[in-house]
Amino acid sequence: MEKESAEVKELGLSEEELFSHYDHNQYESEKVTAPRYSYWKSVFRVFFRQKINVVVLVLLALIIVFAYIYPAVTGYAANHEEMYNMNAADNSTKHLTPDKAISKFGFSLSWILGSGSQGQSTFDALWYGSSISITLALICALINMVIGILLGAVWGFSKKVDIVMTEVFNIVGNVPYVLIIGVLIQILSPSFWTLVFAMTVTGWLGIAYFIRTQVIVIRDREYNLASRCLGTPILRLTMKNILPFMTSVIVTLAAAEIPAYISFEVFLSYIGLGISDMTLGKIITQTQAFLAVPEWGFEYWSPIIVSSIIAIILYLVGQNLGDASDPKTHM
Amino acid sequence: MTKYLIKRILHGLISVIIVVMAVMLLVYNAIDREKIFMQDPLIQKKSSNEKEVYKYQAWEDYGYLDYVPYADWLKELVKNGEITEDTRAAVVKIAVKAEQDDPDVAEYVRRFTEYYEGKGYTVSRLDAVYQTNGATLVKGGSQRLFAYKNVPIIVRMWKYFTGVIKIDNIHYAEEVTGERGIKFTFHDPAYGGDKFSPAITGNGTKYRYLLYFDNRFPFIHQNLVTVNLGLSYSINYGVDVWDTMVLPQGAIVKADTYYPTGFVENSSNDLHTLRYSAGSLEKGGEFMSKRFVDDYTITTTEKNGLSKMGYSFIIGIIASLIAYLVGIPVGISMSRHQNKLIDKIGTAYIIFIIAVPSLAYIFMFRAIGMSFNWPVTFNGTPKAYILPVISLALKDIGGLMRWTRRYMIDQKNSDYVKFARSGGLSEPEIFRGHILKNAMIIIVHGIPGTILGALVGAIITESVYTVPGAGGMLVNAIQFYDNAATVGVAMFYALLSVTSLILGDVLMAMIDPRISFTSKGR
Repeated sequence: MEKESAEVKELGLSEEELFSHYDHNQYESEKVTAPRYSYWKSVFRVFFRQKINVVVLVLLALIIVFAYIYPAVTGYAANHEEMYNMNAADNSTKHLTPDKAISKFGFSLSWILGSGSQGQSTFDALWYGSSISITLALICALINMVIGILLGAVWGFSKKVDIVMTEVFNIVGNVPYVLIIGVLIQILSPSFWTLVFAMTVTGWLGIAYFIRTQVIVIRDREYNLASRCLGTPILRLTMKNILPFMTSVIVTLAAAEIPAYISFEVFLSYIGLGISDMTLGKIITQTQAFLAVPEWGFEYWSPIIVSSIIAIILYLVGQNLGDASDPKTHM
Repeated sequence: MTKYLIKRILHGLISVIIVVMAVMLLVYNAIDREKIFMQDPLIQKKSSNEKEVYKYQAWEDYGYLDYVPYADWLKELVKNGEITEDTRAAVVKIAVKAEQDDPDVAEYVRRFTEYYEGKGYTVSRLDAVYQTNGATLVKGGSQRLFAYKNVPIIVRMWKYFTGVIKIDNIHYAEEVTGERGIKFTFHDPAYGGDKFSPAITGNGTKYRYLLYFDNRFPFIHQNLVTVNLGLSYSINYGVDVWDTMVLPQGAIVKADTYYPTGFVENSSNDLHTLRYSAGSLEKGGEFMSKRFVDDYTITTTEKNGLSKMGYSFIIGIIASLIAYLVGIPVGISMSRHQNKLIDKIGTAYIIFIIAVPSLAYIFMFRAIGMSFNWPVTFNGTPKAYILPVISLALKDIGGLMRWTRRYMIDQKNSDYVKFARSGGLSEPEIFRGHILKNAMIIIVHGIPGTILGALVGAIITESVYTVPGAGGMLVNAIQFYDNAATVGVAMFYALLSVTSLILGDVLMAMIDPRISFTSKGR
């Protein structure tokens, strides 16, 4: 004891500074000390804990840059038709493999994937098409998710709505999706917004049904029962008790939705129900015939590979974000 | 259980009816009816009034409206004995303009107008169209008189549903040689009459053979009950959608054919499909009388290929079988070795299948298959099935792996498994005896859907490998504005999906005693 205090004295501090009297404080004693917890901070902490997510995010950033900024910089976004047909008169520019295109035009990013049937740059056309496809997928997913989540929550809560909506779901679910889209495209014009309308007019039903099932599962749990007994209004119950619980489910769902719309757009173009814009699907469909010529196969595989990469990256980001947004992983 | 099933079936049928109504509203009312002529080569050659009338005729064929030309109405009157043939001939020709009509003609035109307007029709008279010089008619510009009325959706639906299933009866034919009736024979005359082959034949029925055997799968066939889903014109002109799906395709096959007269010929006519057609024996002249003894003369030709549905079903069912045999075991071992190498590889594969556009990976599989020298264009040989089957199976395997793994992992953390583990059971025992059985319940629910879904076909796979399957029918019908076919195919799909849901529930209740559809025992 003596020795210890001697050591403390060596620090050159007075006894008051080391130990000071503290009054008993009733309020302070009620406080429970726990590490500060912020939901979204934890989400990102968990998300970045996995190194692969950093790589995936960098790739996502690259995709965004190429799809949205690159066409604007090259001027492709502004006058894509003109750029597309730039070399149409010159036959020697058509169907070039990358090495031939680079040796013909000199090295630039535009020619690293060769040239297409009109002598256009495959790389430029591809990213411009990707931007349309990604935008389409994002808009459709956003509309469907918002309507689906809101209506799904109501659907799950109200038993009356449930009876009606389940019938509607059973009937609309049996009308082939392709039929609805095909008919709508024929009634209206094959334009971007028609496709958005066609994909969202019944597309939200599936999401709403999924959310409804989730809400029903959570709705009657004890903590909600307790909350309701204490007189919490339904709206606050939904917003504060149920939707936060479902954040990870919703993010995971959105992760699967966005690539699904890209994929569906490719499918629609392939079966001839696509839109007039040069989307990824349309590029794939148009270049499909070139597969028969061995040297031209590159033109077909480029959009296939790029669309696959975009879809996988979008899916991975969403999926891993969904995992990270599950509070159970925040320990 | 029975009561519940009947309720479910009725419920399903009602939703099918509503689906058909929704589809009819979509295709008949929402799409501009002028659009059906966009791909019609015939209309390009017509002009003026002829073009107009052609449109109404086409609309009647496609079920939009009821169209009656003036001449047909007069013929009907003759048939009913109200006027004589001479009167008809005298008044059938209307003048170029209404004012110039003969008094007699004007009277009949008035009656025609009155009769049909009274029934809610619109009567339309198109005056002759002259060329600018005023002397000669323009091509197709002669005067026309007709009545038309839009078919209301209720009437259309009633007609459709009452016509879907037709049961043959001996009063179908208007005139028959010999006595009406049904006969049973042990020696099918289509095989020459010596071979033992039981058959039921009818006289007065639509089809001659109501039940017969042959060497085609499933060997016993019937014509007693026929399905009519609506005439299609885009896929097979004038052939019913159902027949389009089930009739054999490919090259014709010739064999010794024993005609009813005893005449034997190497021909492709399939005498088992003999169908009644009034007056056909007489019209056919010597050619027909050499072969046939009565008006049962229409046959379909025998072909060596399978039907559209047949190809789709074979490819689909083999692919599903492979998918179940591979997907479930892999999913199980993924869940057993969670976060180990096999789980990671499997998850990567699942992500690939979910995220990548299906068109993209089918073409990847195609490119891989090409390097093995497997045929990429379908020709019906066993080898040609390899790639379509693999393309379909690899996709299904991904889905099955995903769900099997998910269910198994969910079960793994449940209380009964922890209890079993604390009771000292080994991991393989727990997996086999406890988790697998519970996880399989939901997997089993999808089996009827998979089997029936194989009938529908796979649209991209079939198109990439040029399989003549049923997958593209709906898209084809939509693109060609083939309304009857669209409705027919949509109804077929709806029926399949309703049936597979009910069967799935029943199957689930059969293997899991805890699931009960009656309120008793709960």
